[in-house]
Amino acid sequence: SRIKLGDVTPHNIKQLKRLNQVIFPVNYNDKFCKDVLEVAKPVCFDDIAVGANPKRLYIMTLGCLAPYQRQGIGTNLLLELQALNHVLNICEKDGTFDNIYLKFGSEIIETKKNYSKRIQPADAHLLQKNLKVPSGQNADVQKTDN
Amino acid sequence: MPNVQLPPKESNLFKRILKCYEQKQYKNGLKFCKMILSNPKFAEHGGWHVYGLLQRSDKKYDEAIKCYRNALKLDKDNLQILRDLSLLQIQMRDLEGYRETRYQLLQLRPTQRASWIGYAIAYHLLKDYDMALKLLEEFRQTQQVPPNKMDYEYSELILYQNQVMREADLFQESLEHIETYEKQICDKLLVEEIKGEILLKLGRLKEASEVFKNLIDRNAENWCYYEGLEKALQISTLEERLQIYEEISKQHPRAITPRRLPLTLVPGERFRELMDKFLRVNFSKGCPPLFTTLKSLYYNTEKVSIIQELVTNYEASLKTCDFFSPHENGEKEPPTTLLWVQYFLAQHFDKLGQYSLALDYINAAIASTPTLIELFYVKAKIYKHIGNLKEAAKWMDEAQSLDTADRFINSKCAKYMLRANMIKEAEEMCSKFTREGTSAMENLNEMQCMWFQTECISAYQRLGKYGDALKKCHEVERHFFEITDDQFDFHTYCMRKMTLRAYVDLLRLEDILRRHAFYFKAARSAIEIYLKLYDNPLTNESKQQEMNSENVSAKELKKMLSKQRRAQKKAKLEEERKHAERERQQKNQKKKRDEEEEEASGFKEELIPEKLERVENPLEEAVKFLIPLKNLVADNIDTHLLAFEIYFRKGKFLLMLQSVKRAFAINSNNPWLHECLIRFSKSVSNHSNLPDIVSKVLSQEMQKIFVNKDLESFNEDFLKRNATSLQHLLSGAKMMYFLDKSRQEKAIALATRLDETVNDKNVKTLIKVSEALLDGSFGNCSSQYEEYRMACHNLLPFTSAFLPAVNEIDSPSVALNHTANYDVLANEI
Repeated sequence: SRIKLGDVTPHNIKQLKRLNQVIFPVNYNDKFCKDVLEVAKPVCFDDIAVGANPKRLYIMTLGCLAPYQRQGIGTNLLLELQALNHVLNICEKDGTFDNIYLKFGSEIIETKKNYSKRIQPADAHLLQKNLKVPSGQNADVQKTDN
Repeated sequence: MPNVQLPPKESNLFKRILKCYEQKQYKNGLKFCKMILSNPKFAEHGGWHVYGLLQRSDKKYDEAIKCYRNALKLDKDNLQILRDLSLLQIQMRDLEGYRETRYQLLQLRPTQRASWIGYAIAYHLLKDYDMALKLLEEFRQTQQVPPNKMDYEYSELILYQNQVMREADLFQESLEHIETYEKQICDKLLVEEIKGEILLKLGRLKEASEVFKNLIDRNAENWCYYEGLEKALQISTLEERLQIYEEISKQHPRAITPRRLPLTLVPGERFRELMDKFLRVNFSKGCPPLFTTLKSLYYNTEKVSIIQELVTNYEASLKTCDFFSPHENGEKEPPTTLLWVQYFLAQHFDKLGQYSLALDYINAAIASTPTLIELFYVKAKIYKHIGNLKEAAKWMDEAQSLDTADRFINSKCAKYMLRANMIKEAEEMCSKFTREGTSAMENLNEMQCMWFQTECISAYQRLGKYGDALKKCHEVERHFFEITDDQFDFHTYCMRKMTLRAYVDLLRLEDILRRHAFYFKAARSAIEIYLKLYDNPLTNESKQQEMNSENVSAKELKKMLSKQRRAQKKAKLEEERKHAERERQQKNQKKKRDEEEEEASGFKEELIPEKLERVENPLEEAVKFLIPLKNLVADNIDTHLLAFEIYFRKGKFLLMLQSVKRAFAINSNNPWLHECLIRFSKSVSNHSNLPDIVSKVLSQEMQKIFVNKDLESFNEDFLKRNATSLQHLLSGAKMMYFLDKSRQEKAIALATRLDETVNDKNVKTLIKVSEALLDGSFGNCSSQYEEYRMACHNLLPFTSAFLPAVNEIDSPSVALNHTANYDVLANEI
C-alpha cells in the first residue's frame, strides 16, 4: 500500500497546522499544536502529508484532505488507535457523518444539542469505544477549545 | 643535521629558532636565522635548511627553494633537504627540477618505494611515458603480492600503471596488462569500463559490445554505456537504436533511461505514442523530477505541443473521472496522479513563458494539497521568472517553513532572498543551520560556502554597496588560494597511501582550478565594480553638498546653514574624541598585532569594505582578477570583453586590439562586442599621437573587422542584420546615440521597440533596455523612460521592475490570483 504513517516533529509541525486549517471548520490554537507534538501522527500518501490524527484518548481531530478521502487513510489512522479506548465528539455536517467510528466499534452514547457555537448544524454526537475488559483508562471527556 | 657543535651562543639561538618554528612564530624565527647565517662560520650548521623550512611555512615557496639549494651546496646528499625540496618543486610545478631531485633521492634510497613512485610520477607529468612505464614496471616487479591476494595498494599501482599506458595510446599493451592483473584489481567496475573503452579503440567491436551489454546489465541508467554499445554495434539507423532500447527495457522494466533516450530521437507520431506511455507510468507512480528529465526536449516546438496536448487532456480527464482519458476502465488513478499532472503543467507553462497559466495550475495543486513543499518551490520559481523577486522569496519562505529540518530548501530560500536583495534575511535563514557562536556570514566563509558568497556579491552589487561586494570577491579569491595551497600535504600523503590516480587527478585539477564558475562569477563582479569605481570614484566628502540652494528660500537656507554648522561642530568634537581614543588604542593594538603576526603563518590582511572601495588603483586590482580568466577561461567571450573594458581605460591600444580580436573569433555578432568595437575605433581615431608601428598594426587589423566601412555604416549593418533581436537593437541604438548625439530620438525609438517582429521581449532583456534609458546611455530621457515603463508593464503586468513607483513597496497586492489561494488556507467560518 502507498499509505504510511509519519511522525510530527517541531520541524514539520506546520504541515499539521496546515492540514488542520484546511480540513476542519474550527480553528485550533497554537497551544494545541504544541501539545500535539507528543502524540500526533500525520498520514502520508507517497510521502505527502494528507491526513492527521493527534492521537489521544480523546480524539480532538482526525481528518484527511478532501481529494484523498475514501482511500483508506482514515482507516489507517484508526488502526493505530484500535488498542486504545477513545472518545470523541462528532458534529453532523451535511449528512457526511462517517460511520467509520461505528465500524471500529464505537457507540453513540448521547447527543448534545447546540454543542458548537460556531458551526451548523450545532448538534454533536458523543461517541465512545470501550474495550471488552474495562480498565481505568477510560478518559474523561475533554472539552474542545472552541 | 649538523655534526659539528655550535658554540653556546649560537646553540641557544638555534634552539630558539626551533621553538619559533613550533609555535608558528615565523617572522621571529626568520630574524634569528638571518642572524646565524650572516656569520659564514656557522652557515653550514643546518642553518639554510631551517631557514628554508621557515620560508616554506610562511608560504614563500620561491624563497624556500633558494634556501634549500643553498643548503644542498653544503650538504649534497642530505635526504631531508632533498625531500623538502622535491615537495616545493612539485607544489610550484617545477617539473624538471622535481624530476632531478627525485632522481637523487632514488639513488640515495633505492629500497624506499616512494623513491621509485616519485620518480615515475615525475616522468608521467613530463609526458615521457616510456620512462614512466619502465620505472613503474621495475617497481611493480619488486612488489611481491601473491596472485590470489587482494591488496588495495597493489591494485592502485596496477590501475595507475594502466592509466599511463592509455595516456600513451598503448592500447594493446593496456588491454593485455589489465587482463593479466584483473584478479588483483579491487575496482571491478572500472576494469570492465576500461576494457570496453580499449576494445572500441582497438576495433574489436564484437567483444566490446559484450562488455557494454554487461555494463548495462549492471547499471541501466548510465548513458555512456549506451553510447559505447552503439559504437560497438555500429548502429546507423534509428530503427536499430530503438530496437536496442526496446530490448533493454524488457530486461530492465524499471529503468528510466531506455525509455527516455528514444524520446530524444523519434519524431512526430511515434513520439506521441512513446511519450504517452512514458508520461502515464511516471504520473501514476509519482515522479517529481519528471519535468526536469523532459526539459531538454523543449527546443523542439513540435514535441512541445504534443506534450502539452497529452498532459492537458490528462488533467481534464482526471478531474472528472479518475482516468487518464474518459473512456478507459481498469484501476482508477489515485488522487496524487492529478496532483503531479498539475505540478507538471505549471512547470511546462512556466518554461513557455505563459506565467498566468502556470500560476493557475500550481494554485490548483496547492488548493488540493497544501502540505507539499515542491508546489511552493515551483510557485516561487514562477515568480522569479516573472521578475517579481520579493514574491518569489516569500513563497520559497513558505516552502522552507513546512520542513525546517531540510537544509536544501533552507538554502534555496536564502538564495531567493539574496536575489531579492534581502541580505540580512538571507543570513538569518542560513543561521538556522550554521554553527552556534559565530555569525552566519563568518561561518559560511569559514566553510568556503561559495554559492552563498557569490550570490551576496551580486546582491551587494545591485544595491551599490561596492565595498561589501568587493570584500566577498576577495574572500572567494582567498578560498581558491587556500585550495591551491592545501595540496601541499598531499604530495607526501598520496605517495604513502599509493592513491596515485587520485593524486594525479588532484594535480591536474589544481592546474585549472580557477576555471571554476565560482571564480568566474567573483572575478567578473570584481572587475565590473573596479571599473565602476574607476569611472566614478567614491570621495570622502559628505552628501551635504547636494543641497541645491537655489530652490530654497533665504530664511530656510539660513536655518539649514546654522543646522549644518552645529552638526559640523558636533562632528568635530566627536572626531577629536575618537582621535584621542584611537591613539590610546593604537598603542595596544600595535603590540597585539605584532604578536598576532607572529602566530598566524598565512596572516592575511583584514578585508575592510570602506578601504576596498577606495582603493588607489582599481584597474590594477581588476587586472589581478582578470589574469586567471585570460589563462583558463579564454573560450568565454566575456573574458575578453571585460579585458577590453580594462585596457580601454588604461589606454593600452594593442591589448585592446588583442581582446577584441579574440572576442571576434568567438562570436563576431555579440552585442557587447559590437559596442566595444565602435568605442575602440573611435578611440583610435581620437589618438593621433600613437607610435607609427602601433598605428600600422591597428589599422591593418581593424581593416579585417570593419572592412572599409565608416562607423555609422558599420552600425547600420549591424542593426539591419539583427532587426528582430532586442538585445542587438539595444546595442546598435546605444552606438547610434554615441556616434551622433543629435539622433537621440531615433536611437531611443529603436531601443524601445516592442512590436511583434521583435523576438526576445522577455523580462531580462526589457529590464536591460529600461536600465540603459536610466543610466545615461541615451542622455537625458526621463519621459521616454516613463513611457517605456508603462508599455512594458502592459506587456508584463507582474514584473516588479515595471510597476508604477507608488506600488513598489507592497507589490504582492498587484498580482492577480495568487492571493486567492492563500486565503483558502485561512479559516472561513
